[in-house]
Amino acid sequence: MKISRSELWGGRALLLGLMTITILPFISIFMTALHPSGTVPGGLEWPADPQWGNFVKAFNVAEMPALLISSTFIVLAVVPVSLAISTMAGFAIGHLRIPGSRLLLFLFVFGLTLPFGGIIVPLYYLERDMGIYNTRLAIVLPLIGLYMPFAVFWMRAHFVNMPTEISEAARVDGATIWGLFWRIHLPLARAPITSLGILMSVWTWNQFLIALVLVEDPAERTMAGALGAFQGHYATDVPLLCAGTILIVLPTLVLFVLFQRQIIAALLQGSVKG
Amino acid sequence: MFKMHKFLSTVVMLAILVTVTYMPNAVAAQSVPDCGTEPVTLNAYFETGFDIPFKLAEEFTKQYPNVTWDIKQDQFTNLINSTPRLLSGDNPPDLIRLPTMVSFAEQGLLKNLDEYASAFGWNEWPVPQLNQNRVAEDGTRGSGSLYAMGLNYSLTGIFYNRELAAQIGMTEPPKTLAEFDDLLAKAKEAGLLPIMMWGSAKSGMGLAFPLQNLMAAYGPVEPINDWIFQKPGATIDTPSNLIAAQHLQRWIENGYFPPDINAIEYTDANARFGKGEGVFIFNGDWQNAGYDTDMPGNVGFFLMPPAEEGGSPAAMSAPLTFGIAARAKNADCAAFFFNWVASNDVARQINVAIGGSNPGGPSGLVMPEVPAGSVTNETLAAGVVVGEAGTSMDFIANATSAIFAQGWTPELQKMVGGRQDAAGLLKAVQEEYERELSE
Amino acid sequence: MTSDNRPASLAFPRWISFSKVVHRETIIGWLFVLPALLMYAVFVLLPFLLSIQYSFYRWNGIGPMTWVGLHNYETVLEVPNLLGTISNAFRLVVYFSFIPVTLGLVVASVMTRVATGRLGAVARTVLFLPQVIPLVAAGIIWGWLLALPGLINQILKAVGLGSFTRAWLGDFDWALPAVGFIGIWVLLGFCTVLLWTGMTRLDPALYESARIDGAGWLTEFGKITVPLLRHEIGVCLTVTVIAALAAFDIVYVSTAGGPGNATAVPGIQIYILAFTQQRIGLASALAVMLMALVLVVVIPIQRLSRESTQ
Repeated sequence: MKISRSELWGGRALLLGLMTITILPFISIFMTALHPSGTVPGGLEWPADPQWGNFVKAFNVAEMPALLISSTFIVLAVVPVSLAISTMAGFAIGHLRIPGSRLLLFLFVFGLTLPFGGIIVPLYYLERDMGIYNTRLAIVLPLIGLYMPFAVFWMRAHFVNMPTEISEAARVDGATIWGLFWRIHLPLARAPITSLGILMSVWTWNQFLIALVLVEDPAERTMAGALGAFQGHYATDVPLLCAGTILIVLPTLVLFVLFQRQIIAALLQGSVKG
Repeated sequence: MFKMHKFLSTVVMLAILVTVTYMPNAVAAQSVPDCGTEPVTLNAYFETGFDIPFKLAEEFTKQYPNVTWDIKQDQFTNLINSTPRLLSGDNPPDLIRLPTMVSFAEQGLLKNLDEYASAFGWNEWPVPQLNQNRVAEDGTRGSGSLYAMGLNYSLTGIFYNRELAAQIGMTEPPKTLAEFDDLLAKAKEAGLLPIMMWGSAKSGMGLAFPLQNLMAAYGPVEPINDWIFQKPGATIDTPSNLIAAQHLQRWIENGYFPPDINAIEYTDANARFGKGEGVFIFNGDWQNAGYDTDMPGNVGFFLMPPAEEGGSPAAMSAPLTFGIAARAKNADCAAFFFNWVASNDVARQINVAIGGSNPGGPSGLVMPEVPAGSVTNETLAAGVVVGEAGTSMDFIANATSAIFAQGWTPELQKMVGGRQDAAGLLKAVQEEYERELSE
Repeated sequence: MTSDNRPASLAFPRWISFSKVVHRETIIGWLFVLPALLMYAVFVLLPFLLSIQYSFYRWNGIGPMTWVGLHNYETVLEVPNLLGTISNAFRLVVYFSFIPVTLGLVVASVMTRVATGRLGAVARTVLFLPQVIPLVAAGIIWGWLLALPGLINQILKAVGLGSFTRAWLGDFDWALPAVGFIGIWVLLGFCTVLLWTGMTRLDPALYESARIDGAGWLTEFGKITVPLLRHEIGVCLTVTVIAALAAFDIVYVSTAGGPGNATAVPGIQIYILAFTQQRIGLASALAVMLMALVLVVVIPIQRLSRESTQ
């Protein structure tokens, strides 16, 4: 395929330009975070005297340790359970093709279009009645429920593509359904399960509205959920606010850089199979 | 005779029995609630960015070691949104910051403090602002049972940057509105920003302060207070208020406020004023400590001058309102804390030094000393003037739970953007007010 | 495929009837589905139904509920502030959805043609970064960049466009587009990578034959690329439209709905109505309308994008 030089360089310029626009904000707040506390620096100045200590300060004052623990706890409570039950459901709907599969699929997919804001109000009253409001469970349980549409859909898409011959052969050998699931299909599903797990971890870490409404103490929310309170506290101190913001986005950024292929693949394949 | 003896002894015994049964109650009715000696943890909700309740809590634990605090803090907007849930939930706070309270009092979510008021003698305090925390049976404020207390009593007026003021030739605070207008015009001509204010929806529209000050400069304060207290038939859309709003509109059109005011948050405005941007700023004495730190010796205060020479200056003066949830576990201790804040010497000192505001309290208590050069000297003196003139008002932002976010803020922002005029502003806010009250 | 043609007799003793086997497998299968279904039903479907129920009442969340029928829906349609949130949501759709999809198509196309190697991989990673941070962080970062002394205005001044500078998020005309721009920043990478993935699966032979017939870039784009990517485009549109209509995080943190009601979107209004003003019924009515709106927009998109596949 012959491509003209102008197209080649024009195209590359476009890509570089967009990459710059994308990354500029990160660079800007990083530089701003290094300025002395209390100053209002311009957008892109490297400070004369970089204050690396600002990160330590923001870490302590914003109760980051408590937030890290809280977020980690929530992720550990949400993701494994969600993976387990969605894989089972996806298996039943996608591979076993139990009667009612189409209805079930439709029911779950319907949930993909529901905005959190639409159900947050009754969710609040529901949790009050259940007695779990204002506990970490208040965030964990709805998130598991809210992830089911995407997760079941995603796992079902994988299982639908599994050839039936494998199961046939296993059944001939006398395998039970649970055995089929546990010994044969689960190991084969390792890749989609990993991708899904990473995706759900990122989403949980970044969850804001649910944490904001359903947990009263900002220190018991997710990191993102506490960002609002943090902002109010530091609105004057821009460098410190920037340092705090960087600390909050750092975990997911690191996770992404390490697992970028899986994350991108997971998100896209799940969407494409729709 | 034997029977008489028996009868008398029975009567005496009955009398003793009755007295013994009722005496503890009689004693209890006169004893003052306190925090006891057992360990107590007070469940509290404070607002971020204001140090004074935290410092008072620290000092309280120092003096009463059996009392510890479980303090949660959240941003103003988040707190306003969470308060109904917090008060009606399973773990209602013993102490919570309450910018608005009428709906909560009406719904029975707040503890009625009348008993404490009589036990501690709060009703005898010479502080008229206590009435702002009263809610009557019909839901109007200003009279009736007490449902909240203030940690201190703030005063709102005009702070000025001494250096910049000298630059425009201001030698003493203006005595009339016209003089103030002159100063603003001079500042503009000199290339200075006349008034720094905040206006982003995130912290709410600060122009409500100058607007209300103008309203009180042109007219009496009773109708304004009536409207804030939801008295039946009250309206904010009055002829004198219209003149005030038009005056504000002129200030906006003359460019006296920062051009990006709709994006400036409260804390940013104060930071910029502290760095010398703006000759004047309308704010309250809760910010004194901040101004003293940013501009030591360079900040002054005066009350908004009246429209006519010799009139009484009026000001917004409100308690830093805190309430106790109706089902709070440690209500007695929280009430005791209220009393302690106003009467304990150390607490009063902290209140004035850090809070910058009048600690209230019973008459006869010495006003704590304030270091010379602190602007708190001027605000306390001004507070006395307002107290004597009887011209204190609550904030128009507090009339209903949502009038600020849904009424004043969007409409004032539109006025800044040239999309709303004075008459439209008052009409729109009055409509929103009536709509909320009819729900 | 069902179990009709499976030789059950090989796996089980003859005396267990076939229907029992099928029956048993169905039960177990449903047991597999049950946990997921339960969590979903309790924490998503039930609140959804409750929302609909609340919308017909007047309720402050604490006291008794009063039946008002369709009154809340009438209020939403009459009060300009509330109706305005829906029009703001649609305006956001243009920024969050149409622009990223269109721009994403262009960028993805460019990538497949000129950046097939490392540059492309790096570009995809970088462009995808905003997807990974919390939306509130994006709101805070851009809130700072778009302020009067912020980076955007500095850049404008540096290139000689100093007269354009303003406090973007405080300006009546520009606040919504500014929020929209934040959305583009967040969503462009997603669309680009998704569409690129689709493009790499297209058969290059199609392009070859088109080129032999003399087709230019634009014709190729319009007649081959876009129709064949119908499915991916549909997904992109669906995800971004939902993000636009349901927007909360970014708006809450950058403008809180202001100035005036310029950036008031349904998500924010529902939150204020329910939690500040304690008007649960009205908030629920707005929420139900929002959800209905999402379906009304998304279902046609799905239909249109599905025609050729499956």
